[in-house]
Amino acid sequence: MKATHLVWIRRISQGLFLLFFLFLLIESRLPQDIYLRYSLVFSSDLDLRIQWPLGFFFQLDPLLWLSSLVSGHHFITGFWWALALTLVTLFLGRIFCGFICPLGTTHHVVSWVKPALKGKRMIEANQKSPSQRVKYLLLTSLLVGALIGLNLAGLMDPISLFFRSLALAVFPGLGVGIKEIFDWMAKSDIRILNHLSYGAEVLVSPVFGYSYQSYQSAWFIGLIFLLTLFLNRIRPRFWCRVLCPLGALLGIFSRLSILRLEKNHEKCTNCELCTKNCQGAASPIPGQQWENAECLMCFNCFDSCTEGALSFQLRWPRTLNRKPDMGRRALLTGLLAGISIPLLGRLDGQVHKVSEPRLIRPPGSLPEKDFLRLCQRCSLCMKVCPTNVINPTLGEAGMAGFWTPRLVMIQGYCEYTCTLCGSVCPSGAIREISVKEKTERPIKIGSAYVERGRCLPWSGNGPCIVCEEHCPTSPKAIYFSKELVTGPDGKRILVPLPYVDLKICVGCGICEYKCPVKGRPAIRIISAGESRSVKNQILL
Amino acid sequence: MSHLITRRTTLKRLLKISGGLVLSALTGWPLNGPGSVSAKSHKKGFIVEGLGQEEGYSLKELTRRVFEAAGGSSRFVSRGDVVVIKPNISWARRPDLAATTNPELLEAVIEICYEAGAKKVRIADNTINDPRRCFAISGAGMVAKKTGAELIYPRSSLMREMKLQGNRLDAWPVFVPLVEADRLINLPVAKHHGLTTLTLGMKNWIGAIGGRRSALHQDIHQSIVDLARFFNPTFTLIDATRIMIKNGPSGGRLSDVATKNTLILSDDQVAADAKASMLFGLTPDQIGHIFLGQRWALGTYDFQQLDQKKVIL
Repeated sequence: MKATHLVWIRRISQGLFLLFFLFLLIESRLPQDIYLRYSLVFSSDLDLRIQWPLGFFFQLDPLLWLSSLVSGHHFITGFWWALALTLVTLFLGRIFCGFICPLGTTHHVVSWVKPALKGKRMIEANQKSPSQRVKYLLLTSLLVGALIGLNLAGLMDPISLFFRSLALAVFPGLGVGIKEIFDWMAKSDIRILNHLSYGAEVLVSPVFGYSYQSYQSAWFIGLIFLLTLFLNRIRPRFWCRVLCPLGALLGIFSRLSILRLEKNHEKCTNCELCTKNCQGAASPIPGQQWENAECLMCFNCFDSCTEGALSFQLRWPRTLNRKPDMGRRALLTGLLAGISIPLLGRLDGQVHKVSEPRLIRPPGSLPEKDFLRLCQRCSLCMKVCPTNVINPTLGEAGMAGFWTPRLVMIQGYCEYTCTLCGSVCPSGAIREISVKEKTERPIKIGSAYVERGRCLPWSGNGPCIVCEEHCPTSPKAIYFSKELVTGPDGKRILVPLPYVDLKICVGCGICEYKCPVKGRPAIRIISAGESRSVKNQILL
Repeated sequence: MSHLITRRTTLKRLLKISGGLVLSALTGWPLNGPGSVSAKSHKKGFIVEGLGQEEGYSLKELTRRVFEAAGGSSRFVSRGDVVVIKPNISWARRPDLAATTNPELLEAVIEICYEAGAKKVRIADNTINDPRRCFAISGAGMVAKKTGAELIYPRSSLMREMKLQGNRLDAWPVFVPLVEADRLINLPVAKHHGLTTLTLGMKNWIGAIGGRRSALHQDIHQSIVDLARFFNPTFTLIDATRIMIKNGPSGGRLSDVATKNTLILSDDQVAADAKASMLFGLTPDQIGHIFLGQRWALGTYDFQQLDQKKVIL
């Protein structure tokens, strides 16, 4: 096959996979056209589900599969996709990096649209450098850490990182900007602007969110994403070369690859065009030994060689390729980091001693220890949550639980008959549950308590009872009794005062969300009483 | 898309209203419809109670008969009207739990509107739970798809601050499609409610506004009356096919539900609520906003003043 054909196949494949990734990302929300045949005679709850295979890219990712396996001893659903990809890598090398990876494609495009350097300096930048060992260091530490019991793979995994950055920072950020414009247009007195704003909003909100999506600390996620894009100014596909742990893993598998770069010394004129165009700094030029573990399979060298000195060929029988240059020091450092990080992560006592009261996990979450073994911090649960209650943690779950999901009840609440988050979780850190299980068992995520000093009726500021109205359980976990309290002018007033029945409360947080005392509501949820923990309980 | 209140339409409407007022003063003709707040007629209102007594009665048939008893649907909906229905679908609950308006009734009313010549029928509600889930699970989404009615999702750009000129509420963000309708239909479900005792027709208007709704509880009955006066629907049709007798307004168990097979249709918001409250074994004056509604002359629960009819199927 001609080199240009190969390069074009690569570009098309990159484009299609990136589009597919974006499509699944956008579809990771409840659509507005769900039609259920509910009628009066229908007397059991249906679970709303999203029909698209939202977890596809996560299932395709061997790093997520492997890290879940060694840490949680759990085969994630659809892991055979990852297995298939591993097999492909064993034959064709890092084809994933060059043809499929949506983050790699993004970096590729950024490096191509605005090349970091020119001429000789680009050739120099594309020489293999020892910094490329960092990714092996990261891979070792992530896998060793996972083995010991803390799965941080998702922090660095390209699929998780890309999804998280787009879902929590890029799309909501754009969405907020666009919605502000629409709201401004809708308020305008000019009729055509009103119409335009409604029309455009119908088209735009399915993509950017039906309301103002917000995620605590997402600015940080966005900043890191921008930084990884900026790194392409230093070297093309800096992330893929130096940092990507999945790339490192695939690089190791590629040692057996039969798709090899064949070099012809005699034809080479040493023009260095191949090196200049090399995306992975894999030493394509004749005279240097090809670094198959670094090669991103972009076929640029093959395409740029005017002399026909380079070609990719399938060679059988299989011979071992060059060993990936990991560096012993990098491996040792990775090993050390991998051992120490999980142990350091336990020092806050969250697993063994105390539970953070505001760490409220989604319904169906595994016990904290197992949760940290499986959660890939991909943010899919946060993206699909219809009320926008699930947020990434910053410090609430300790260092070990950085960017894991947490419910922030001033931003939303867990809807009583919603079980969407567990149905999309790619790693099983949140179990898939049914409405029946959630409401009848029931699955509690915490407990409500009234802060009487701030509560309107308790503090003598008049009637309210919004919490009781919204409480979704039957019988209601929030009940009231009409009692006399002292009002502002010293008069005794008869108002309904709210109380919480801890036996019934599931901690859904709608009371906290709807409480008229904003910011720091007068009724709040703490994690105590959550079903997933044996220790974090209140009642006998 | 929906058309909006602009200066021009406001002026037009004002002209129509003032013209209509003069005309009505001259001829003694009543004026009904949103916007004509001050044109409340002194003509006798009506209240129709429909009861499905026989086993497996057709709700559609009952609805039709109730409208016929009230003088036929053409009395309420004219050819070319944009009709907006405000059901109560605040909660993502299955229909049999009586937290939301019966989807079969919703379907029947939409069909009647179309038959009377409505140009467009819209279903709009600013729900408490997520609107996508509410519309899907309550069955309203399916009804809209089947009948061709339009579902209006509450969006921030559809909330606009308006002068309510109520006793308690002055300016408040209002769900715009409801005030832009030619005909506004209130289609609530009859339910128990912790704070207001019951939630029927008038309280349904809390789902027609945006803003800091949870603050309304601090003077709930007066707020309800203010909203009811502002929205002033063409008619109220209360769904009491099954009612929620405890744990309202969300409920959640079949033991919270009682079957009544009743529909109450009236052009008097207070009367409709009053009639429905009796299904719960209460007297109308026990409920704050019904009592206030009569006092502020929004309507009456003295049924003698109304044209009363009963339909039994």
